[in-house]
Amino acid sequence: MAMRRRVNRMVGLAGLCLAVGCSRSPTAVSAQAATSVLPGIPITVSSIVCGAGWEHAATGLQTFQIHDVSPDPVDVSLTNAQTGGVYTEIEGIGPGTTRPMQADVGSGAYAFVCDVSGGARVTGPTTTIPGKIPGGAAMVPPDVAGTLAAVTSERAYVTAGLATAGHQVSLLEADIAARDLPAARSAWLTAHLTYERLGSAYGMFGSYDDAIDGSPDGLAGGVNDPSFTGFYRVEYGLWHGQSAAQLIGSARLLYRDLQSLRTAYPGMILYPQAALSDLALRTHEIIEHAIRFQLSGADDFGSGTTLATAEANIDATRAQLGMLRPVLASWQPELAGVYSWLDRLQRLIQAERAGGHWTPVSGLSTSQREQIDSAAAETVQLLAPIASMFESSPLP
Amino acid sequence: MKYSETARRSFLRGMLGAGTVAAVTGYTAETARAATSPATVTEPLAQLPAVPFHGAHQAGILPAAQRQAATVAFDVTAGSRGELTGLLQAISSRIAFLTVGGTPPPTGIMGPPSDSGILGPVVVPDGLTVTVGVGASLFDSRYGLADRKPARLAPMTTFPNDDLDAAQCGGDISLVLAAGQRDTVLHALRDITRHTEVAMQVRWRIDGFTSAPRPSGTPRNLMGFMDGISNPDTTDAAQMDGLVWAAPDAGEPAWTAGGSYQVIRLIRMFAEFWDRVSVTEQERMFGRRRDNGAPLDANGEFDVPDYAADPAGAVIPLDAHIRLANPRTPQTADSRILRRAYNYDRGTDNVGDLDMGLIFTCYQQNPHRQFEAVQARLIDEPLVDYISPFGGGYFFALPGVRDQDDYLGRTMLA
Repeated sequence: MAMRRRVNRMVGLAGLCLAVGCSRSPTAVSAQAATSVLPGIPITVSSIVCGAGWEHAATGLQTFQIHDVSPDPVDVSLTNAQTGGVYTEIEGIGPGTTRPMQADVGSGAYAFVCDVSGGARVTGPTTTIPGKIPGGAAMVPPDVAGTLAAVTSERAYVTAGLATAGHQVSLLEADIAARDLPAARSAWLTAHLTYERLGSAYGMFGSYDDAIDGSPDGLAGGVNDPSFTGFYRVEYGLWHGQSAAQLIGSARLLYRDLQSLRTAYPGMILYPQAALSDLALRTHEIIEHAIRFQLSGADDFGSGTTLATAEANIDATRAQLGMLRPVLASWQPELAGVYSWLDRLQRLIQAERAGGHWTPVSGLSTSQREQIDSAAAETVQLLAPIASMFESSPLP
Repeated sequence: MKYSETARRSFLRGMLGAGTVAAVTGYTAETARAATSPATVTEPLAQLPAVPFHGAHQAGILPAAQRQAATVAFDVTAGSRGELTGLLQAISSRIAFLTVGGTPPPTGIMGPPSDSGILGPVVVPDGLTVTVGVGASLFDSRYGLADRKPARLAPMTTFPNDDLDAAQCGGDISLVLAAGQRDTVLHALRDITRHTEVAMQVRWRIDGFTSAPRPSGTPRNLMGFMDGISNPDTTDAAQMDGLVWAAPDAGEPAWTAGGSYQVIRLIRMFAEFWDRVSVTEQERMFGRRRDNGAPLDANGEFDVPDYAADPAGAVIPLDAHIRLANPRTPQTADSRILRRAYNYDRGTDNVGDLDMGLIFTCYQQNPHRQFEAVQARLIDEPLVDYISPFGGGYFFALPGVRDQDDYLGRTMLA
């Protein structure tokens, strides 16, 4: 798991979205129209003017050439002048540079909003396009109450989950201390799934998560490297004939690392808006990671339970969608589709559990694997827009 | 410190205490200017014109093989006939866009970009064709299509010299993507899979290419021989009707009109071994000269071999590849096939030998009468020591899409 965390700790890498089909594209514009892309509509931005130059406004696909005449980088958004909703934005336009901005413009009232780095926000003049021609959708920034509700519920969820995981790891440690390895294997799965159900928080956990749920990737000695610790280290030993005496140290260390994380977590605070971005980003990344590490079998260190992990990740995704519900009010139809595919994916995965035993990914038939992979792919495609929507919405 | 980092600053400036805060420093107008001075200026690439997608037949069958291609087989995961219909509609609408090109629609902040961007901001057609076939397995019990199966569609036959890997054989759907440039092919594949992952998954894939004419004439395969010299005349509509297009009056379901049987055979060539064979032996195995492609009994690439004048095979051995494949008799005239093969290069195998060969692809009206009859004549030909068929499949290339309201497979599903 080490790699995924490093890659994704920063919200900025949301663009990695591997299954980018996220948006079912509306009709594309013809090649003829495309030739007008380069000229576009020249728009000037600075700390004084924002959006100067939009004349003869028309509907349809528009390309604005945003030119920053100030000495500072500027964030520029095209907004709905009535609701404040954001259609599109470009962050960090460099001084003296010009960047294209494309938008599907319909009837309505538009205004550019400029945030000059280290300076004030400037809202440009309102441009009104009459009629009833539909254009692209705008994202209304989440309100303070919704943001706080989402963030607060996430903290409560993680706090409770860490407590449960800590208790379950203590039981795992006790089973190993008692040399009851069959019981330890069962306790390991229970505790690991609880941790994997935490979902969004791993990015914030940083090096704690490396220690608790990291793979040996990047360690020269692989599974035998002394720095290989945590759930997967214990799994490797429990399913590769290691003795209780060989494993007790790793189990104790796992318990201690979890306790350290529980102690540190209250101090890991983001501004609410950043915490919301983080939460939204990981709402699709949890399943992205499940595809990469669990549905592929890559993170199977012997127990053959990566499908169980994937199901825990589905639970985590559901939990996060619940937390985000207060800020997703305008996204209800899409959300219904997400839940429908989460259900379908979960049903397919649950079908691989019989009598407490999980089919390892390597034991799936081609058809079973493909069915699961299809459902997982659609799920992440539908989830991906959430990350974009909350990627950098203005502070409420 | 470049744009990728400054673009994240609204998140970074919100961070307190956790993680690493990357400060935006050192940004000046000079660095911006430096970034806009490319070290190398290259001319825009010449682009192939668009190949119209709509028509009675799929557009990729008759034209000569393009420079770059990808052959991909998929298993359908759609949960119902309705979802299968949606899949074929999605494939059709993506091909309709990709073969015309244009500016992908902006998504604003409501989602990730709608296009991968690997062809730049405006998608160019670059001669793209995407040929879609269906395999016999699609007509099992899943979608209620058993009674719609093309009469001669079956799983690929295993021939005596084959060494087939089940994981690289068969599939419910085949896609042959072909264009002028490799990035065009990859862009199209990535776009189509992005929009269809929900209902089909890649089963196997192999990328191919057509060599440049060396020095002229028919492009060569990776054994060094010109390959595909003697193909039916695609400008002769009557010949195409008799050899390539399905004939619904011959026991075929009516919906197959306009389609064609597609045979794909993945054939490894043992390049190192081949290179240790004398050119005389190589030429006698093929029946053609290696340098200019001429039949061994003639002087020019397009000269027709006269087997009647050489009944004992003194010049062109009786078991030479071209003589077995096409004996040029009235009895074998209707077994001719339209070959659209691509070379492939997959690097090296796990013992370091070059892994290259041929994506043999052909189209025909009746695979029993044509490909299988030809292949049966080729059993144990001398060339088999130097090649190994390991994958592929039999598919039925669907009828063409008539217009914007039509989609691939509509008549099959109706």
